Order: sequence, then C-alpha cells, then structure tokens
Amino acid sequence: MKTFYTLGLLVIALFALYLTATLEWPQRITGTRIDPLPALMVCAALRAPLRALTVLAVLGSLWQTSLSADPPGISMIPLFAVGVAVSLNRRAIHTRLWSARFAVGAAAGALVPLATVGTLLALGREPLLGWFSLWQLAVISLASGLLALLFFPLLQWLDKTVENQPLAAPYDTTTLIKRTPH
Amino acid sequence: MNLRPYVYATGLVLVLAAVLLALPPRSAGQVKLAAGSFFVPLFSAEAGLQRVRNYAADKTATREELLEQNQRLALTNEVLRIQIQQLRATAEENKVLRIQVAFAATNQWKLRLGQVIGRDPSNWWRTLQINLGSRHGVREGLPVLTPDGLVGRVHEVHPNRSRVALIGDPACRLSINVLPSRENGILTADGATVFDHTIVNLQFLPAHTGARAGDPVVTSGLGRLFPRGIPVGKLLSVAPAPGALNSNARVKLAVDSSRLNEVWVILP
Repeated sequence: MKTFYTLGLLVIALFALYLTATLEWPQRITGTRIDPLPALMVCAALRAPLRALTVLAVLGSLWQTSLSADPPGISMIPLFAVGVAVSLNRRAIHTRLWSARFAVGAAAGALVPLATVGTLLALGREPLLGWFSLWQLAVISLASGLLALLFFPLLQWLDKTVENQPLAAPYDTTTLIKRTPH
Repeated sequence: MNLRPYVYATGLVLVLAAVLLALPPRSAGQVKLAAGSFFVPLFSAEAGLQRVRNYAADKTATREELLEQNQRLALTNEVLRIQIQQLRATAEENKVLRIQVAFAATNQWKLRLGQVIGRDPSNWWRTLQINLGSRHGVREGLPVLTPDGLVGRVHEVHPNRSRVALIGDPACRLSINVLPSRENGILTADGATVFDHTIVNLQFLPAHTGARAGDPVVTSGLGRLFPRGIPVGKLLSVAPAPGALNSNARVKLAVDSSRLNEVWVILP
C-alpha cells in the first residue's frame, strides 16, 4: 500500500471538503454546491491501489456527511463503485488525453449524486428536489470534469514526491563503450 | 486480473455502509461527531485568521474613520434609548393587561451570538453550522434568528458546534400567522426553494383566504417551538382555491441565509 500517497490523498480530500462547506461564491454564481470527491476518486483510481480507494471512499464519505444533514456514509457505496469501475478499466482510459480525464470526471460527478439521492429516497428521506436540481446536476458534472483535470496532475506530483519510483539504470544504456588494448 | 481483492473490498464497504445507515439517530450523531472532529483544526485555524484580520484592521483604521464611526454609533445609541423608553411603557401596559386577562407572563429572550462556520456541502438539504454547541447551552430545537427575522432551528448539537436547519429544509417546518388576517398556515419547501432558497411554500391557509401579496408573515407560536411574532417574511403570491379545503401561497423569506455570517440563538 502506498501509505504516504494515501495519506496525501486523504489530506487533499479533507481540504477540498472543508472548502466546499466554507466557500460561498460557487453557490452564489451557479446556485450549486460542488462535490469534489467523485473527481478525486476518479483521479486516485487511475494510479492508487485498491486499499487507498477503499479508505478514500469510507473516510471521504464520513467526512462529507459529518458536515451535512445526510445520514453518515450515504455516499460511500456510490463513491467506491466509481473508484472500482475506473480502477478495473484504467488501461482502457487514455489518461494522457485531457478530454478523457474530463469525461471520466464528469461522468463520476453526475453518477455519485444521482446514486446518493436514490439511496436517500430509498431510505424514506425527503431531500429537497425540483426542476432546478437538473441544472445543479449538470453544474456538478461539469465542475467535476474540470476538477478531474486539476486533481490528475496534483496526484501525479504527489505520487512522484512521496513514493519510491522504480529506479532507472544509472548509466546510459544506448551508448556502447569500446575499450582498446593499450 | 486477480479480482479477489476487489470482492473483499466491495464486501467490506457494503457491510460498513449497511451498518452505518442502520444506526439509530443517537449513534449516527456520534459517528458524525467523530468524523467531524477531523475538521476542528481547520475551523480553529480559520477563527484564528479572522482574529488576526480583525486585529490588523483595528490597527490600520485611521483616526478620522474611528471618529466618524463613533459619532454614528452615538447617534444610533440615542435613537435606541428613546425607543427603549417607548417600549418600556408598552411592556408595562402589556404586563398589566396580561394580569387582567389572566395570560401567562412572557419571558425575556436570552440570546447568544453565534458565527456561521460552514454550510451543508450537499444540494438537497438547507442547513448551516454555527460555532455554538452544548457547552454554550445550545439544545436541539432552539430558534435561531437575526434582527431581520427567523433563520431556522437548531437540528443537531455537538459540544462546540451545532447544525441549524434553515426555513425551507424538510427538518424545519413551522406554523405561521399571516398579518393582518391572522390566518394560520404551515411553511414547507418545494421545488421553487431549490431554485431560490428565499422562497418557500405556505400551505393550509383557509380556502377563502383574506391574505394578500405583501402581507407580513410571523411565527404563530403554536407547538411552542418558536416564540410568537418573530418576522419570517412577506407573502409573494396567494393562490386561492375555491372548492378546495385550503389555499397555498408563496412566501419570500426576510433573511437571505446565503449572506449570513452571524446569528442569534434564543437560549432556554
């Protein structure tokens, strides 16, 4: 398990959730609160081991619901499902393409809140929904795609900074040195 | 690909989620409290930064600004003192009349100022967090207001912070009076509240209601959750329903909760 990478991932999740709860301007401009966890989960699932994804889904969901009126852990299953889906198909996703990162982030940003609201309704709760919720879903999806573009290089940098990378050969393998007899 | 770790992890997450969602409200609250404790350093750091910012602002204010502010406050103080004299006479009269008609005496509100430290990160609830908790005497159900009107009620209490369910949240339905007709109704949220959080639905007005757009709306005091007479907002539109049992209306709330930084809690 990439321990330091996972810890860094959790710190990013904590800060992102804190900013979501305290920053008021995204809500004023778009009428929507942006959920950063789906984009973070997607970017993490492209490089992190399964244990890190599990920890992120469990703790991220618990942290998010601790700031909300949601029951604890309501978004745990949707987040984990997105993480597993991306992790199992990570070779099929062209991560070098910006459009691919954006598309995966946007899809996750739409699926997680939909599944969370579905779970709430199944539990008999009465979340506040209306026609404007469709606009909110579109904004969350778009914002999640953009956040995926931001989180991807950040997690790449984190991975390179805190984890051991496979060592390259300490010499130039392309040049042949010919020694001549004295 | 070895799928066994995925199966184990999925099983673990499913069991954990099922256990968490089946928890009784008290235990769920404790879990949320434990998870929320991770944010304590961040909220404390923000409060510290705010103090530094205030200190810096105090130090850099010019003498002219301070004198002008002082003059303005002195003027406000005088106006308020005259108003208090007037209200004192009214209160005395009210006390005598209450004794004459054998009404229970009203208590003065014990208020405590709280700061808004966070808002609900989800789009389907309307709550905010304040920096007052059980250690400050806050209990579940206490009314929260500003000088402009009612904000909501305390919904969840932790030692150092509380969650306030705002008017329009499903956890904060309240009984109101429309003035001057004194008709009762219940404020609830609907789809329009998602679009504009300052608009809520007013249900169960009489079918032949005398209420008109622009009429003020105040708390009715029924249910003893909120004291009577706290301003809530104004009627935006009324939809009379001839033939139906009751009519509905739209109410524009007096307080825009998205711009709140400080609120008052009425302590018991």
